[in-house]
Amino acid sequence: MKRSSQIGLAAAGVLLVATVWSMTGEDPQENLVYNSLSDCRSAGQVSASQCETAFSEASAARLKDAPKFQSQSACEAQYGANGCGSASIGGAQYFIPALAGFMLARGLSGGAAQAQPLMPPTTSACPPGSTQPECQQARSSSSSSSGGSYGGSGSRSRAYSTTSGRSVTAAFAAGARVGSTAATSTASRGGFGSIARSFSSHSSS
Amino acid sequence: MRRVTLPPRADWVEQVERLGFAFHTIDGETYWDESAAIAFTLEEIERDIEGPTEAIEQLCFAFIEKALDHDEILTKLAIPAEHWDYIRASWQRGERNLYGRLDLAYDGRGPAKLLEYNADTPTALFESSVVQWDWLEQAMARGAIPRGSDQFNSLHERLIAAFAGLREPSPYRLHLTCVQGSPEDKGTVDYLTDCAVQAGLDARFTYIEELGLLTDGRFCDGANQPIETLFKLYPWEWMFRESYGSALAGSGCQFVEPPWKAILSNKGLLACLWEMEPGHPNLLPAFFEGDPRCATLSARHVRKPLYSREGANVTLMERGRVLDSDDGPYGAEGHVLQDAATNLFSADGKYAVLGSWLVASQACGLCVREDASPITKNTSRFLPHYIEP
Repeated sequence: MKRSSQIGLAAAGVLLVATVWSMTGEDPQENLVYNSLSDCRSAGQVSASQCETAFSEASAARLKDAPKFQSQSACEAQYGANGCGSASIGGAQYFIPALAGFMLARGLSGGAAQAQPLMPPTTSACPPGSTQPECQQARSSSSSSSGGSYGGSGSRSRAYSTTSGRSVTAAFAAGARVGSTAATSTASRGGFGSIARSFSSHSSS
Repeated sequence: MRRVTLPPRADWVEQVERLGFAFHTIDGETYWDESAAIAFTLEEIERDIEGPTEAIEQLCFAFIEKALDHDEILTKLAIPAEHWDYIRASWQRGERNLYGRLDLAYDGRGPAKLLEYNADTPTALFESSVVQWDWLEQAMARGAIPRGSDQFNSLHERLIAAFAGLREPSPYRLHLTCVQGSPEDKGTVDYLTDCAVQAGLDARFTYIEELGLLTDGRFCDGANQPIETLFKLYPWEWMFRESYGSALAGSGCQFVEPPWKAILSNKGLLACLWEMEPGHPNLLPAFFEGDPRCATLSARHVRKPLYSREGANVTLMERGRVLDSDDGPYGAEGHVLQDAATNLFSADGKYAVLGSWLVASQACGLCVREDASPITKNTSRFLPHYIEP
């Protein structure tokens, strides 16, 4: 075969601010959602060590609390193709949904609450044709590509599920630029880009 | 090789936007065009595109070795002398490259011919890697093309692997940058950022206008974070000439593409390769303007500025008469003249140019751009391709 066997898009570096809908109709809550540890670090909303703590908490909670399946196909029937991985738990081999992201409550980002693992959306939460907001992205992520916007400015969303079976939709917000301390001070800025301005476009080919 | 007319997906806009592809229409004109596709045989792909692409890359490496030893070649390429040592050092250190695109004339008969090498800042990457891949899967699923079709396209997995291997130790922190105000460039960099994250890297975006210089000589991003490795979708020939050009050598920054790519992303390369390997089956005769051997070129030839992007300022000549040209801002550094290709694929009154992708110098993907004019421009439409089973 001359082509990639699968393509996954991680919507990298995009800070996700989640609005959580429970399936029982709770009020939406604001949380921080990251697809990966490096997303969390580069977003800069919480410290790098808090990111690491949250990520390891979420990873451990996934192994402990995620639904366990005896076969990959049974797992994929619920979490979609490529939505599962194998895990060795207590000496036995299981298939459990993949860690698609992790979530920490904004008000509790000081570490009071444990970070929650996020897994791919379940097919039962979002049956084909479903129009609930949290299912909009879930349908498309049943194919092997999902999430992210490349060159667009519109906001997008991505669906997940929690270990308790709740459905979570995270709306992408523009990545916040976060100030940080550098060991040395900045001597100047803006020394590249002048020719592009004079040419207007055509900087690439 | 043939052009196959196909009904577009009824919801094609929704389908490509689902992937995050935002520039499918440019200035009101269709850019992503799935009303047709180009079908290849596996033999055409492997024998005529994949093999020659890697052969040309090897020839380019031999040329770099030669150019770095010959000041007169670097002068002809209009590379500023104050940056020669910087370029030499990047080659001698073996700094790795990420990607590039060879533009080829090929009509399914005879050898493909190199039109130019976009070695430094190629775009059309996301649509090549992801959008046409998804189109293929869906086209097979809905029966528009035969099941068992394939595509010359392992770009996505190769990019992820190449990012992981660009420097040691990996994973490392990578900054990525492009100019403000170009949705196409930003879309390309956003996609590469995604690939870098999947490679496990700590990837951060900053606009090139935001770059700063720290007092210790390192570059920094908009948040004053020092930059150790920088992917820049911004041409070397401009960086050399801008005010931070003098800070490059002392910055300790590893650039992607590396500085030595400046030798290849220059239309003078076409004349230099022909000089090295006259008669090479995949090259067209080409000379620097003013070289007396230009008289040996065909009556129908093309005049290209040394530095040019997206077909800008390229002129198609016949017996001294201009047949077609594209206006633009380039040309101050000189020109090359190259025989017009006689094997451009043409069907239904349109011309197609192939873009053959290299990732880490391995041929691994293809894109097809189609235009009513024989000069491919930044508005030429993108057609998906497939390999017939």
